[in-house]
Amino acid sequence: MSDGRLRTDLRRRMAQTSGRGRKLRGLLALLMPYRLRLAGMFVALVAGTAAALAPAPLAQRAIDDGILAKDTGTLTVIVVIFVVSAFIVWVATYVQTYLTGWVGQRALQDLRIAMFRHLQTQPVAFYERRPAGVLISRMTNDVEALNQLVTDSVVTLFTASLTLIGSVVILITFDLELALLTFLVFPVLAVGSFVFRLASADAFKRTRETIGAITGYLQESLSGIRVVRSFAQEDRQRARFDELNEQNLQANMKTVYLNASYFPAVEFVSALATVGVLLYGGFQVLDGDVTVGVLVGFIAALNGFFDPIGQLSQVYTTYQSGMAALDKIFELLDTEPTMTEKPDAVDLPRPLRGEIRFDAVSFEYAGSDGDTKLALADIDLVIPPGQTVALVGATGAGKSTFAKLVARFYDPTRGRVTVDGLDLRDVRAHSLRSQMGIVPQEGFLFSGTLRDNIGFGRPEATRADVEAAAAAVGADFIARLPEGLDTEVGERGVQLSAGQRQLVAFARALIADPRILILDEATANVDLHSETRIEDGLKRLLAGRTAIVIAHRLSTIRQAGRIVVLDGGRIVEQGTHDELMDAEGAYWRLYRDWAQQAAA
Amino acid sequence: MGTGMPTFRRLLGFLAPHRRGVIASGILALLAMLMTVSIPWLIGRAIDGLQRGDRDDLVHLGVAVGIAGVLRFALTVFRRLVAGKVSLGVELDLRHRLYTHLLSLELSFFDRQQTGQLMSRSTVDLQAVRFFLGYGLIFMVQAALTIVLAAAAMTATDPTLAAISLIPVPFVIVVAARYGRHARPALQEVQQRIAELTADVEENIGGVRVVKSFAREERQLSRFTHAVGRVFDQAMVSTRLQAFYNPLIGFLPQLGLAAILLYGGRQVIDGNLTTGEFAAFYTYLLMLLGPMRTLGVMLGMSQRATAAGARLFQILDREAQIVGPPHPRPLPPGGGRVELRDVSLRYEGAADAALDHVDLDIEPGRTVALVGGTGSGKTTLVQLLGRLYDPTSGAVLVDGVDVRDLDPQALRREVAFVTDDPFLFSASVRENIAYGRPEASDEEVEQAARRAQAHEFIDRLPDGYETRVGERGLTLSGGQRQRIAIARAFLVDPRILVLDDATSAVDATTEQAIKEALREVMADRTTFVIAHRLSTIALADEIVVLEAGRVLAHGGHDELLRESELYRAIVEKGLPDQVFLTRKPRETEVAGL
Repeated sequence: MSDGRLRTDLRRRMAQTSGRGRKLRGLLALLMPYRLRLAGMFVALVAGTAAALAPAPLAQRAIDDGILAKDTGTLTVIVVIFVVSAFIVWVATYVQTYLTGWVGQRALQDLRIAMFRHLQTQPVAFYERRPAGVLISRMTNDVEALNQLVTDSVVTLFTASLTLIGSVVILITFDLELALLTFLVFPVLAVGSFVFRLASADAFKRTRETIGAITGYLQESLSGIRVVRSFAQEDRQRARFDELNEQNLQANMKTVYLNASYFPAVEFVSALATVGVLLYGGFQVLDGDVTVGVLVGFIAALNGFFDPIGQLSQVYTTYQSGMAALDKIFELLDTEPTMTEKPDAVDLPRPLRGEIRFDAVSFEYAGSDGDTKLALADIDLVIPPGQTVALVGATGAGKSTFAKLVARFYDPTRGRVTVDGLDLRDVRAHSLRSQMGIVPQEGFLFSGTLRDNIGFGRPEATRADVEAAAAAVGADFIARLPEGLDTEVGERGVQLSAGQRQLVAFARALIADPRILILDEATANVDLHSETRIEDGLKRLLAGRTAIVIAHRLSTIRQAGRIVVLDGGRIVEQGTHDELMDAEGAYWRLYRDWAQQAAA
Repeated sequence: MGTGMPTFRRLLGFLAPHRRGVIASGILALLAMLMTVSIPWLIGRAIDGLQRGDRDDLVHLGVAVGIAGVLRFALTVFRRLVAGKVSLGVELDLRHRLYTHLLSLELSFFDRQQTGQLMSRSTVDLQAVRFFLGYGLIFMVQAALTIVLAAAAMTATDPTLAAISLIPVPFVIVVAARYGRHARPALQEVQQRIAELTADVEENIGGVRVVKSFAREERQLSRFTHAVGRVFDQAMVSTRLQAFYNPLIGFLPQLGLAAILLYGGRQVIDGNLTTGEFAAFYTYLLMLLGPMRTLGVMLGMSQRATAAGARLFQILDREAQIVGPPHPRPLPPGGGRVELRDVSLRYEGAADAALDHVDLDIEPGRTVALVGGTGSGKTTLVQLLGRLYDPTSGAVLVDGVDVRDLDPQALRREVAFVTDDPFLFSASVRENIAYGRPEASDEEVEQAARRAQAHEFIDRLPDGYETRVGERGLTLSGGQRQRIAIARAFLVDPRILVLDDATSAVDATTEQAIKEALREVMADRTTFVIAHRLSTIALADEIVVLEAGRVLAHGGHDELLRESELYRAIVEKGLPDQVFLTRKPRETEVAGL
């Protein structure tokens, strides 16, 4: 490696271990609300540590004034003080452990909530670019690493630091020369720790990355278990998992090598210092410059000096991985949402009239190679309040993108989308979406009862409301379930068939009583029998609302007030079913294809 | 200790494959401890020497302390290397075992488990276990060793004084054990609540579109906040325990120190003990303070590991219910004959049977359409063919062999599924298509894609077949994902092909083209299609009408039109505008199916 490369490599490693400013500010902000408790904790900490330091000087007194002076009375008094100080330690440690736990746990919970809230502000596109496993890992593995720090190490960190400071004072008061001799270890340890930090920065980062990869893979394996199973690819999945596991081991092994050399070295330095004190102090005793009591006390106090150094180096690992985790967490929290609400955003009127207008709207998305792809090009369209518009076109024609722009899941690249005359970028998302119902192709259900799921958009709905909504969409399978509406549905509603989930999603949209309704391939999974019944419900649902319907089954859309045919992101045709049939254009061809194969 | 001990012993069992490493690190730790213990003894001797005014002795003993320090350094480095290897090995094994076990469990297990719960056990709980086995246990052993060695050294110096100063030790152990008893259930509950939290997060990330489209962020946040609050409350329960017991464990040994000062001091005054002996004694007890405190902390850690271990064992102990027989029969050559003999299946917790005494006999090479309302049992039926579930009673036979007598993997290689909501892995399009047959050539992959009408859009993707499709293939539309899944099934060239509403999101023009290809693909294999569209049903040689888990009718199209009222209803509602379509009367059209 050339000199220059070496230097950049070093600089990079330094940079990795830094970023302290951000972390410190972040941590302070987290702890700020609990400053009173924090102050209480520090008082307890100082009291406890001070009391914990007392044994060494007390022992010295006991030896010099009591034992060597053959004064049992003084000895007894000193021992009583000794016991009292131990008792103070007990009480102070209780207070301090409790408060540390309280503040630490509370701060962790705040952090979790902040991350959750932050994730909520992110647009849909954010989730499309990131594997769910990685996001979950942020909120579990990384918070857990911090938790480790809080529960096991923070107290050690504080007590050890204070003990160290106290010991320094005690050593100095014992004997300045011996103390200065002992403090020679500081520069040695400082250089050692610095080298250790540089050497280990990469290793710790790599460890966190590899564990993140494992979590992500595990998550994917679990969600895709059906595919794994039905293609009998367990062996391959396992092989890949083992590979990731092995990578994690290798990354971890590096930290083991580093730790194996660092911690014993700290111990070794302390042993050397003890030898130095023993020899130097011994000669001083022999020369009569120092009393035996002072030397014994000093050596006893050396424990109080080296123990915290050892402890600090032990928790250093936990500290480092905690800090690495904190880095990852703040990195997430610092991701600015690409779609934000303007500070002066206004609420849409309630109820909406429901007029949707596209003004020269284009939408491009970034491909994986950095190219942009055009999904919608120069769309001009006005949907008057209450009209049902059907979007028709081949896969990839831009139908779903169109719907997503209306819901403001994305912002247009050019042009503007307005509802009731207001640009969606100027309105508060809540005021839009709370008046909008979207039924996607996949009916995602939350764990909970069917009733919870149907009432998702309107939790205050009564049981009768929920029942009415379920009946309106023809979800009569619910009545046949042993627990009816109170049936728990598993994660992603796996115990229900796709069609059943879809019916629930319908009822969910219906009960929210939206002014604008978007059905994105909503009936694809529903069997014909149910579909006919839903259609009855749909007619009622669509009445008086603006609706955008995307369907491949053209029979479902013939009733639409207007049909818009999209091709390659452009509107190629629009009109009613009859008009378009007469025109014998794109729609006519699509319809012919569909009808032919529907009856083939 | 309740169920704690067996769990704990079983956790130790994970160390068994690394026995040699564990023993080696134990020996190394013991030797290092000897060095640590020898240092105060040497110092004590040196101080005695000082009182005699012996300079040489001081130098010799000082050098001896230095040598002990060097030896301890070397021993500790080795001990840490060996122990580190063991710890990482345990982690690797544990994760491997858990993953392997999860992969072996039957699907109905996953139906009832939240992914987040499983994730939490495989990450947070596993971490607690490996932390303890890897580091905690060694610290604990080291602490215990220190205590034993120091106690031995003290007893050798002055048994009476040793006895007095060690009085607190049994109390420490009793208190620590008591702490453990209370702490374990508390910590287990913390882990459980963290798992609930993880499940909550997982669900919110998965369902982000629903949350956003209903503008329910506030409610989800308040639910999450509630879950977080539950974690906090429980964490505080265990913090309070920790806050009470930990300092108590630290306090008790201080009484030993006080006893030494009081009693030992008098002994020195009375001339029964030298000042050096007294100093050494005192130093030993000081040495014990750290390990006793460590012991307390580590006991807490071991409790957490035991709690986490219990949760891991809950998964590991759940035996796979669908396993191959010890001596599986080979799947005889055949064209995919399928027989269902009096098959019933009731899902756990369901009131009604999903399949109710189904008898079915399908000749090899036939294409069978399954028709019926939502929840009539169509998907359940086809899942039995790949033995993704076992029937509650009855038997499923493929080419004359009960599927339970076959190696499940061998069977599944002959049965390919395409579902309406296909799952794609975060990998390239090519890898996804070749998922069932990774060794397939690029030409074969492309051919499968062409047949599934996927080649054209794949070709237009930024990197063609090497384009990575995101998690759950989110960057692709539903129809595109379905087509990749169809190509994936085509490529494995199965004996039995199952299309479960496989083209629901594909547009009509493309679907038409896929069907053309299907005719070709279906020719020499048994195919089951589940569809709601007549056009798909029309691909079938025979049709099975299901309702509430029972076969209502089974036969050809014409036959069913005559005999099945339900089928007739389905056909009538499903047919498009006949006048536009062909200007032919319906009967003719139907006859042409």
